[in-house]
Amino acid sequence: MEYGTIEREIQVQASPEVAFAVVSRPEHLKEWWPDDAVGEAVVGAPGELIWRDRETGRTESVAYTVVEVEEPRRFSFRWCYSDGDLRQGESLLVTFELTPLGAGTLIRLTESGFRELGWEAAVLEEHCREHIEGWNHFVPRLGVYVDRLVSAR
Amino acid sequence: MTAAIEVAIDDDLWSAIGDPTRRRMLDRLLAAGGGTATSLSDHLPVTRQAVAKHLGVLDRVGLVHGSPSGRERRYHVDEAQLARAVAQLSSVGATWDARLRRIQRIAEAIQRRQDEHDRTAVTDQPEANDTRRI
Repeated sequence: MEYGTIEREIQVQASPEVAFAVVSRPEHLKEWWPDDAVGEAVVGAPGELIWRDRETGRTESVAYTVVEVEEPRRFSFRWCYSDGDLRQGESLLVTFELTPLGAGTLIRLTESGFRELGWEAAVLEEHCREHIEGWNHFVPRLGVYVDRLVSAR
Repeated sequence: MTAAIEVAIDDDLWSAIGDPTRRRMLDRLLAAGGGTATSLSDHLPVTRQAVAKHLGVLDRVGLVHGSPSGRERRYHVDEAQLARAVAQLSSVGATWDARLRRIQRIAEAIQRRQDEHDRTAVTDQPEANDTRRI
């Protein structure tokens, strides 16, 4: 059973083609996520997301692998492999779905594959942020919301 | 936010808080200010034995602490540890929100540049523009 998923949406005033390039190409990826990115928007292409420690200059790279490239509608990749060097084992699947919306594009993000059931609670962030006044308030909501998510499936 | 922080998921802690029954138990312990396996099972559709097992899981990751109370152990929630778990859960969604906002900014900047380029091209060199579009 896998119901650990993060879902997010954002509207952008740009064509699906432009949005697709931004979410898929390493030269854009490094502008919105890691310090640097190496790879290609090609199915099966192995890529690296690279972070650089500002103080020590040391870098850390995380493997990702492109899974789907359906320009300009869908792009997905896996990352956070439990065995990063071999790109094997458990991993997270990030999917961008792009839908034309007016003159722009609706970008829908899902991140799934979290091994532990606890992860789906992360989607609470957007619903609870305004309401967190203390854990006494938060945790009851956590249970109710997650139950609703699960039973909706 | 570095990759290290993001990837360093505390699996045991998440697993512990991820179970719906255990979350209901935490809710109940917080609401009642503590409880025993017996008092919790009175309010949940699970046996006392199952509750005791779940309490063991929560105890191992430090989400609850127990102390002897008569023939049972009375548990209360470690709010600092719970805060830590919830912060981990929240940070993932928040980081994606931030990334998506950056994606939006970049895509819209590129679009504006392209539109600007198209307008210029249409005015100056209609033929060249037509060719480029094909």
